[in-house]
Amino acid sequence: MTPSILAANLGLSFAALAALCLSLNRHHAEVFDRKAERAAVLRLRAFGWAAIAASLVVAGIGEGWAFGPVQWIGALTGAALGLVLLLSYRPRYVAPAALVALGVAAVPLSLAALAVSP
Amino acid sequence: MKGSFRQSMAWLHTWSGLIVGWVLFAIFVTGTASYYRPDITRWMRPELTRAEPMDAPALGAAAERAVAYLQEHAPQARSWFIALPQPDKPVLDLFWRTRPGEPPRQAMLDPRTGAEAAVRGTRGGDFLYRFHFELHMPPLWGRWIVGICAMIMLVALISGIVTHKRIFADFFTFRRDKAPRRSWLDAHNVTGVLALPFHLMITYTGIMTLALMYMPWGVTTAYRGDNQAFFAEAGLVTTPRPPANRPAALTPVGPIVERALATMPETLERLSVVNPGDANATVVAVFEEPHGLSHQHPQIAFDGVSGETLEILGGGLKPAAKTFTVMTGLHEAHFAGTALRLLFFLCGLMGCAMVATGIVLWSLARLPKANERAFFGLRLVQALNIGSIAGLPAAVAVFFLANRLLPADLAGRAEWEIDAFFGAWIVAALVPLVRPQRRAWCEGLAAVSLLCLAVVAADILTIPGHPLRLTGGGDPLFAWFDAAMLLLAGLFALAARKVLRYEAPRKESQRERSARPEPAASPVSPTRAPVRQTEPTHA
Amino acid sequence: MASPARITPAERASVAGRIVLAAGGGYGVAALATAFLSLVLPLARAEAVAAATLLSFAVMAGIVVLVFALRTLLRATVAVAGLAGLLGLGLWLAMRGLAP
Repeated sequence: MTPSILAANLGLSFAALAALCLSLNRHHAEVFDRKAERAAVLRLRAFGWAAIAASLVVAGIGEGWAFGPVQWIGALTGAALGLVLLLSYRPRYVAPAALVALGVAAVPLSLAALAVSP
Repeated sequence: MKGSFRQSMAWLHTWSGLIVGWVLFAIFVTGTASYYRPDITRWMRPELTRAEPMDAPALGAAAERAVAYLQEHAPQARSWFIALPQPDKPVLDLFWRTRPGEPPRQAMLDPRTGAEAAVRGTRGGDFLYRFHFELHMPPLWGRWIVGICAMIMLVALISGIVTHKRIFADFFTFRRDKAPRRSWLDAHNVTGVLALPFHLMITYTGIMTLALMYMPWGVTTAYRGDNQAFFAEAGLVTTPRPPANRPAALTPVGPIVERALATMPETLERLSVVNPGDANATVVAVFEEPHGLSHQHPQIAFDGVSGETLEILGGGLKPAAKTFTVMTGLHEAHFAGTALRLLFFLCGLMGCAMVATGIVLWSLARLPKANERAFFGLRLVQALNIGSIAGLPAAVAVFFLANRLLPADLAGRAEWEIDAFFGAWIVAALVPLVRPQRRAWCEGLAAVSLLCLAVVAADILTIPGHPLRLTGGGDPLFAWFDAAMLLLAGLFALAARKVLRYEAPRKESQRERSARPEPAASPVSPTRAPVRQTEPTHA
Repeated sequence: MASPARITPAERASVAGRIVLAAGGGYGVAALATAFLSLVLPLARAEAVAAATLLSFAVMAGIVVLVFALRTLLRATVAVAGLAGLLGLGLWLAMRGLAP
């Protein structure tokens, strides 16, 4: 169970941080060559913080509330490092990578949801 | 302090970081390696192959053999420590100290025969682990120095947070293609800020692991300085029993081991025999930590003469004591499985990078103008930077290399390995003093890369059971270790190439004069003039 | 930027004073706080000692930052000395209360 929870945490963290990063004008311009619109900024920020919170809930439920927060922060750090390197070397790949990360997170989560529901 | 709060914090950050930077770097590198301490130890003792777990009677018999050996070789010792065989380490590891002040003695026995095991002499990963908090100095000195450095690190972290003007705006910013100082500063900020929770946690919990030594005053006032009484009352150790000074025969430990195993579900890790041969002898069975954050070994104390159970400790700590053990547990990360351990390791590497970029920044900020000579302090700092950032990894690689290349039956072999470590480090620290700085960087980094490759080559050539030599067999540990070494070799080679290709460090004044036009697409191309002001205040 | 611009001897002395005050005063206040809290925290004895020791280095870090943050060395000295005095007085009272 543990590796899939960690995969979900890493995926959610990466997608969340990518969204928060793209809500900043400087990085938005690096990736899309234009400034972000106000509404887009708000959507990206809301998604980003929501995904970070969701990652904590996933970690807490999946690993217990002792390990969960540790794994949550660990995954955030690891994802942030990956994001910064990608942003620095291949900024164009950031948005697709975030979508892939979200997909990676969705697989174990939907499997877990299926296992729980009757 | 003149200027604002932020300026004084910037000053504090710069200088506190510089004076302990090199020691901190060594602490971070050896600490990060210590996340894999058991694996490193196992790699350095290739004679030991994984074994099936032993059942209770076999473990009991092995413990009896250990006691027989100790009764013959260490009858005067005040306590014996017997690490029982585990699948990963199928030997009896004995440790005893005859009297205070004398160096401890150690022996390794084959658990099935009781004869000394045929294992090459090495300190293994324990050397790096102890270096992490003792710096291979007398323990009292080393621990105090590490503690002071950790405290200064905590201050540097706090002042760094205050100094960093745009912690959120620059959260993801790493401009690797800008002026060198800018890129280094970004790298310093990114490695510092992204792993900030880790850095704060590891520094504070690190101090806490030795807090009773650094800050004994609570125990002094409330327990009149009796640490053992405090530990026992907090439920961290079993109640100590002073010697009765009457001789009595030690009860056989085999049945004790079997009873201990029947009481606790965890793996039995070791036995401590306190005051063997005395009427008040105590045998404490120490178990592995149950799955959880806190670093707390369940223990059972037995009377060493009658064999009856005296005390069972297994969890149930009160909140503050529990917090203490959780802090130690977080610091050591024994609980972390493969993936989480990798994340901790990555955070450790970011710590190393943060310290390394920090000390490099200090010298970059003080590069002389075109017509000036570098002042002596700057040259010394530059040489020390190379000597630690390239020198320490080179020394670790030489330590591993010595483990493979020294003859297995060399007298004092473990010390030879350590001598090789320090010899390599001293050479690596002295050479940059007489080489031009950029060449020295390049040579140092390339040397680390080559040494890592040499470790892999030596491993494959000297280990008959290496997975690459046996098709479909062999311990995968060797393959993993070598893969990590190859990765490090690649990283250091990449770094060396970067230094080689790097344009000669341009002086500020020259850059200002020849302000080259930036590509128009670049979204943030600060004009030259304000750069000096917006350039963050620390460095 | 820690500019290597003119640094007067007075400033040097002030910085040196702050370093001594931060290290000595910080540790002293933390030690007094640990000893004091170990005796007076309304917890079991071992818990009080553990809690006080857990907090000790946060106290020390706070004092160090305070020493470097206050505008003049004199103010910083007065603040640290005042805290140390209060804690010392509290510790003295607590120890008298302990020993009949």
